[in-house]
Amino acid sequence: MDNDELGTPQQKKGYSRREMLKMTALAGGGIALGASGLGTALELLGGKTAAEPANQSKVPFFGAHQAGVTTVHQSYGYLAAFDIDPSIHDVAKIMALFISWTQLAATLTQGKREINSSNKELPPNDTNEARDLGAANLTITFGLGHSFFIKGGKDRFGLANQMPKQLTEMPKIAHETLDPSISNGDICVQVCADIQQVAFHALRNLIKEALGTANIRWMESGFLNGAKGKTPRNLFGFKDGTANVTDAVDQEKVIWAGNDEPKWMRGGTYLGYRKIKMIIETWDRDSYSDQENVFGRKKDSGAAFGRTHEKEPVIMSKQPVNSHVRLAHGTGKQIFRRAYSYTNGIQPTTGNLDAGLLFIAFQNKPQDSFIPMLRVLGKSDALNEYTDHVATGLFAIPAGIKKNEYFAQHLFE
Amino acid sequence: MKHQKKIVFLLLMAILLLPVITACSSTQKSGSTKTAQTTSDPVKQGTNKMKQLNNKLQVALKKNDTAAIKKYGKQINTQWLSYENNVRDRFPLQYAKIERYQQPIYAQSNLADPDVAQIKENSSALTGQLNDLLTAKETKSKPSKQMDQAVDDYLKYADEQIDMLVKTTKPFVKAVKDGDIEKAKKLYAEPRIYYERAEPIAESFGDLDPAIDARVNDVDDLSKWTGFHEIERALWEKNSLKGQGKYADKLMADVLDLQKKSKTFKLTPKAMVAGAMELLEEAATSKITGEEERYSHTDLVDLQANVDGSEAVYQAAIPALNQGHKDLANQIDKQFQAFDKQMLKYKKSDTEYEDYTKLSKEQIREISNELSKLSKLMAQTAKIF
Repeated sequence: MDNDELGTPQQKKGYSRREMLKMTALAGGGIALGASGLGTALELLGGKTAAEPANQSKVPFFGAHQAGVTTVHQSYGYLAAFDIDPSIHDVAKIMALFISWTQLAATLTQGKREINSSNKELPPNDTNEARDLGAANLTITFGLGHSFFIKGGKDRFGLANQMPKQLTEMPKIAHETLDPSISNGDICVQVCADIQQVAFHALRNLIKEALGTANIRWMESGFLNGAKGKTPRNLFGFKDGTANVTDAVDQEKVIWAGNDEPKWMRGGTYLGYRKIKMIIETWDRDSYSDQENVFGRKKDSGAAFGRTHEKEPVIMSKQPVNSHVRLAHGTGKQIFRRAYSYTNGIQPTTGNLDAGLLFIAFQNKPQDSFIPMLRVLGKSDALNEYTDHVATGLFAIPAGIKKNEYFAQHLFE
Repeated sequence: MKHQKKIVFLLLMAILLLPVITACSSTQKSGSTKTAQTTSDPVKQGTNKMKQLNNKLQVALKKNDTAAIKKYGKQINTQWLSYENNVRDRFPLQYAKIERYQQPIYAQSNLADPDVAQIKENSSALTGQLNDLLTAKETKSKPSKQMDQAVDDYLKYADEQIDMLVKTTKPFVKAVKDGDIEKAKKLYAEPRIYYERAEPIAESFGDLDPAIDARVNDVDDLSKWTGFHEIERALWEKNSLKGQGKYADKLMADVLDLQKKSKTFKLTPKAMVAGAMELLEEAATSKITGEEERYSHTDLVDLQANVDGSEAVYQAAIPALNQGHKDLANQIDKQFQAFDKQMLKYKKSDTEYEDYTKLSKEQIREISNELSKLSKLMAQTAKIF
């Protein structure tokens, strides 16, 4: 970068880094430094909004951990991956994007939006479709993939020595038919909300902001609803997530990364992802009893074999051989599941539905839990007859972002 | 290394502060404003006629009188074409909105069985837009000499393109009339380049653009389809020039008409910049998808021409951009280069690029990405206003 692009030395003088960050926050979208336009400011809603928003519930954006992991499961979710634009070789440009993304995420999750320029010849900053809808528990969770650090064997941005300990490329798993164009990626963003339009709006504006520095690689959207206080069901009609880690102490053990990780990762986690296509029509023609044998639980109650209630512990000797629950339970591994179902029209060649599960799991040791579980299930799961894993991903989710800081700041500094 | 990063970060923060500083120092442009209220104003007159016709259309809609609905739907379009140029120049924002509603009304009015509910919706939206236009403020911000110069420069460029269009259409038309398929195929792409570069000008003259450049999916009555793409289909799909003579003659006449009209064409700086964005949108919607040249697959030729046309606007606006938006100008400059570099991979000669269908999905996405980056930056050129 030449001097012209960076400003004169006088402008740097007299500001501490923290002050600068604060002032940057005041300057708003200006941090996009020409990528998307300068001078964006934030519009504070609060008293200004005329109508009562549909859903004012907010999840704090800043904190020790990123939101969207142990946050109460919202009804709608988007998972998207981005690749750094091939023209970007300069870490400063990535930092600039993460600063403006942080700014935007902190704004949107609190039910605010960017205001538009007074110059009406310019395109609007905010796309406006979430206006008056409220925050609807919107969360935005950022992560980094293995290819962000190393691509083609090369340390891309001089950050490989800071790579999280458990972040690898995904190993080959039995029984998968992966489509590389919808797998992996340099960066991942998970966006969840109780109103789908609110979630889409957030992701859309993040995509718009990033173009030129990071370009969207793929995007998936899903939904999941359960009756109040009841475990939600997946598209196989079974309760999904009965054995999930819900206790706070257990969550601490299973989800959050500790001192064995680089400093910027501590308090972070890993997002493991599988897009699992369900062979819906074949499943629907399978007998009721076989469905229960394959899954390893009673379809209505969710109870394990030999049990009556959903939450009663699994008795391994009573579980059907190779049933999904028996195999998963048998690994003795724990992960925190946060999945969404998806539908995407029909498959034109067969007329069968294109639907399934966006399997998302958070854990601090994916190499010791998520991946070994996939290996076991891939080899022998009775469910494999009705499923096909079509996309995959493993992303490091850095620690929570503190106020006046930005996403992955301590990776760069 | 650590130290170095800190410096990068500090420098970065320094740039981030720049917008605040520049925002404070930039002064508000002053200028006289007026509305379209004077009775002699052609915009006011034209818009009032539009309103009358739209009212008649609404009466017809209430009575469910299909014949009358179609009649007024078409008349609204004719009226619009008669004065839209003025609107486009002086009220470009309102122009786009009215276009959005009157277009579908016209399209439906030409169908045997029009969708009455859709017309109703668009007609009532049109009422609102026409009222807006009557009270809209035209910001006459005394375009500085610089911008006048920019428009002059651009018009000169556009004129050159249209002259070249005429020059290269002549031999193409001759080959078609001679029934020489191979020669006509060879000569097809070149006039397309000049047309696509100057398309915003052609679009200003009502039905000239559709007469010259309509694609098969743009028309409802194939017997009235004329222009380049009609002949394109004959050449590549039918592989026969039988009966194409009259289309060749019509094309030549329309292109000459365009040349004549463009000589006295006036353009505002805002409309010029909007035209550059239209070109990039064209490229991003119909060229990158292979829809424009669906028989000849010469889409990349058109794509590059659209970008060239938009670059001409950028170049004309450079002096204005240089006043406070130098960094943006630099970025745009780099991105035009990056785009051209991407396209160079497929370029065979000035008039020949790789067949669109030979490109892989990944290659098309690569081009599309560069185009999106360009479009995002070009949208910011409106900062000069």
